[in-house]
This record gives sequence, structure tokens and C-alpha cells, in this order.
Amino acid sequence: MGEGSSLPPGFQFFPSDEELVLHFLHRKAALIPCHPDIIPTIDIHHCDPWDLAGKALQGGNRHWYFFTHTTQSRATATGYWHAVGTDHETIASSCVDVGVKKTLRYYLGEAPEGVKTNWLMHEYHLLDDGVLHSTGDGGTRKKVSDSAQAMQEPRLVHSTTTITVQESNRWVVCRVYESTGGSQSSFHDDGGSELSCLDEVFLSLDDIDEISLPN
Amino acid sequence: MSISVNGQSCVPPGFRFHPTEEELLNYYLRKKVTSEKIDLDVIRDVDLNKLEPWDIQEKCRIGSTPQNDWYFFSHKDKKYPTGTRTNRATAAGFWKATGRDKVIYSSVKRIGMRKTLVFYKGRAPHGQKSDWIMHEYRLDDHSDLLSQSNTSSAMGDATNQEDGWVVCRVFKKKNHHKSMGSPNNSCSVTSDAKTQLLHHSGSGDDALDQILQYMGRSCKRESQGTSINDVNSNNANRHLRPIETVFACGLQEMFMKLPGLQSPTVPSLPDTFPLDHSCDNQTSYGSSAVLHAGASSGNGYCADPAVGDWAAFDRLLASQLNGPFEEPKPLPCCDDPCFTFHSSAGYHHGGGGGGGGGDGDLWSMTRTTSSQSDRISHVSM
Repeated sequence: MGEGSSLPPGFQFFPSDEELVLHFLHRKAALIPCHPDIIPTIDIHHCDPWDLAGKALQGGNRHWYFFTHTTQSRATATGYWHAVGTDHETIASSCVDVGVKKTLRYYLGEAPEGVKTNWLMHEYHLLDDGVLHSTGDGGTRKKVSDSAQAMQEPRLVHSTTTITVQESNRWVVCRVYESTGGSQSSFHDDGGSELSCLDEVFLSLDDIDEISLPN
Repeated sequence: MSISVNGQSCVPPGFRFHPTEEELLNYYLRKKVTSEKIDLDVIRDVDLNKLEPWDIQEKCRIGSTPQNDWYFFSHKDKKYPTGTRTNRATAAGFWKATGRDKVIYSSVKRIGMRKTLVFYKGRAPHGQKSDWIMHEYRLDDHSDLLSQSNTSSAMGDATNQEDGWVVCRVFKKKNHHKSMGSPNNSCSVTSDAKTQLLHHSGSGDDALDQILQYMGRSCKRESQGTSINDVNSNNANRHLRPIETVFACGLQEMFMKLPGLQSPTVPSLPDTFPLDHSCDNQTSYGSSAVLHAGASSGNGYCADPAVGDWAAFDRLLASQLNGPFEEPKPLPCCDDPCFTFHSSAGYHHGGGGGGGGGDGDLWSMTRTTSSQSDRISHVSM
């Protein structure tokens, strides 16, 4: 767990959507230092999902967390990220919308012919019209600089370390994981904290006992 | 990383306390038992008798992160000075153990046991079951010795650990889909449980064996003279559901294999059914259940505990049958008489109860089936 190692055993990084947006992403975008500064910044273009080990923060359930910069293209060396559906989930805190969560899937190869993989990404954005932004007018300029960056590959190497203030509200925080089975794995389904199927059966039998026993 | 001990903000944002069972036992409980200091006072001592489950979340909060489960240490309190039972009653209700204790291993070494309890509101035996579940972990004092002779040690309460510190995890059971017809049908095995069953049935848990033993216990209780005349139509209706489920899944052919039950006497076992030894004692239970159902069929119905238990067994069987393609290894007892008998009992019973409402489809299905094979023609319509 890296920096979480000073916590006693049993702690895992399991941030809620709200925590990711309000605590981590907001601070990153507003240039407020995060303490502890545990989520690293990664250039998504240079990182295939299986390369995240050692670069991103590993949370519980083998989820990987990192900040990156949104660009139009989310291509990597061997594939690309493509949005799943068109609906984006809104993240609310105290009934105020603070962010948006997009889900993307990783495809091998080149769009649109890529081969689907099990790698999924949750990409959290701050809401553009939110009150959280310390810099107001970065939006339109950002698009220009994005495409410029995408054209000039070599400069990307430096881009993560030379982020300027006006781009700060285009930060996103990402959670990447490899889905197992059909449904998206939830945060709580790892061992112990749920009833096993056997427990469920025993509980059912208890019910019958309650019905059957006299008085 | 900033940690302020005993403070509310001791845990950095985003971190949750989600220890493994091994961490709970080997790190936290071991330190507690030996009075060693624990780095961060995350697990508090709680007097279980003075704490209602809904107050636990406040008392056992860790940091500011939302929690789905809560942890505390508790010192087991004897119910009676001379006995071995533990008092787990609170002002509003009581914790009741369910199932069998599970052995907790650290790699291959046995380190402790886990007991599962459910909170009931009110006083036994009239308690009303809640969704609050507790896993109570205790250490094996002689874990080294026990790991060497681990035969039959998994059963029930360990002898040496009725008193002392335990570490508990409390959480609320998720209700995946509770409404399957009747509003209080809380004993439906959820589809999640079904899939889990399929996935787990090959593992070392030996779930079926455990359930068989548990069923055996229930049946024994029944044979000790407890008899119920109280008819519960809801109970009767529930019998039909597993069968429905199986039919809905296009597994009619499974029921074509049912042995004929022409009379209420114990039928002779067809030679084609291999007798698994693990099922031998269960066969007798099954037979007695059939007998009972047959004897009281004059009333039109019978709702005795044994049949009730078999209904649950039915559901289990149905859930096992639901995905034969996912489970390449056939169930050890799938063709055993003890299963088929009680299935038949379920039919008989349900028919007598006069299943109304949506059961019509089911019965037309069974008529079709029986007309093809004439094997379950004993069903009273």
C-alpha cells in the first residue's frame, strides 16, 4: 500500500466517490496541498493499465488510483480508453453536484477496431460550473492545448511536471481495475464482511425453526 | 501521514478499516489478549450487553470515512455462573448464533474460530429477526495442538474458549431482493447466494456436508416429540417456489428422474441410485418425512417442522440445479434417494395445501410431466 504503511494492519485505500472528488481532486485542481499526498500523477498516454503497478496508488480490491490530465484522446501505446455508454454519473455532496464520473473501457489496438478488455476506468471530473474552481477561464483554452499536446508527442514527456495554473481545472482522478466476472466489482465484496452463501442458508433454516417451534 | 491517536480524524481520508480475518485474529485480538498496545486505537472495547446494534456505528466509528462494518472487542460474559453459554442479550434484544462456527486459518495453520450471530429484537423465543449480523472471532488457545488433530474440531463451540476476549465485526445484511411473493419471505436464498453456492461448492468448505449435518440436527429435534398442528399456509406456499424455479429454468428432465412414490410406506430404493455414505443417515430422515406427510395427508395439509426443513433443502437443491453447466463436477448426492424423496414430499404437501394464485402454472406443468412418466402421479390434486 506504499504510503499507507504507517497505518496499522487492516487499513486499505477505499475512497468513496465523494472523497475522491471533494478531497483529492478538488485539492489537486485548486493547488491545495493534499496531506498525505498519496495519489500520484501519471500520464495516461504512457501507461497501459497493466503497467500501473508501482506507478499508481494501489487501493483495496486491486484498484489503482492516479491523477491525470484529460485530453481528447486517451490512447496508449497498445490501445485506448473508450467511454462506456453516454450517461455520466453525477457525484453529489450534501445535495450539491460536485463532480461527474465517467466509465471507460480499455481496448487493445486502434479505434474503432480495438479488442475489448476487462480493464475499466472511472474518471472523475470536477463540474465545470462548480464553485470549487480557483481559476475560472481555463476551459476553452484547454481544448486547444490538448490537441496541441496530442499532436506533439515528445512534449508530453514533460507535460505532467509542467502543468500550468490555467490547466488545473482539467485534472481528473482515475480509478482503474480489471473487472472479474460480469458485473462491476463493488468496494465491499471482498472477504468476510458479507454473509457467505452458507450463512444465508443457515439463516433460512433458522427462519423455519422460528415457525416450527411451539410457543 | 498524520495520525492522531484517539482523535476523530485519526485516519486519512479515503482509508477504510477493512481487516482480513487473519489480521483481526493474529494482530488485533492477539495483542488484546496479551495486553499489548495496539498502534492506533481503532478497535474499542464494548460491553455487548449494553450496546444495541444500531448504536454500534456511532460508538465504533473509525475516522470520517463511511463504513459498512464496525469492529469492537468484547469480553464474553457467561449466561449462568456454572454453564458454558454466553450471555448476548441487550436491552432491546439478543444475539443468536446461527450455523456452525468456521475455522480461521493463517495459511495452513488454524488460528481461531468465527461464530455468526443474528440480532433478534425482543426476547427469546419470540424475537424478531433483524438484518444485523455479527461475526465473533475467537483465538484458539491451543491452536498448535488443534491444528495437529483437526478432526471433528470444527464442530460447534470449542471447549476452551467460552470465556475471554473476542473481536467482533458487525454489519447489516444486504437484502438483494426480498420480495418473492409474500412480504415476509425472508428465507429465500438470494440469487447471489445461489451463484456463490455454485462457485463455492467445489471448495474445501464442504457446504453440502455442513448443511446435511445441520438438517440432521433439526430433524432430530423433530423426532424428539415436538409436533406442530399449527398450519401455516404461507409456509405451504413457499414449498412450491423452488420447484417453480427449477421448472422455470427448463430442468424438467431433472424431475423425470424422481422415483415413484406409490404409497406412504418407505419405498424400496431403486438399484440405479448409488448410495453415497455421506447420505446414509439422511436417508432415514427423508423417509420419515415422507411418512409423516403421507399420514397426515387426510387433513389436506401438514405443516410440520421436518417438511419445513425439507422445503429449505428444496430451495438449496433448486439453487444447485440451476446452473449445472457452470458446475462441471456433479453433486455428490444429486441422484440420491434422500434428495428425491423430499422433493416428492414437497409436491405432495403443496398439492394438499391447495396452492392458489400463481401456482396454477406450476401444477399444469407437473401434470404434463406426470402424464409423460406417471411417476409422480401420487400428487393429490
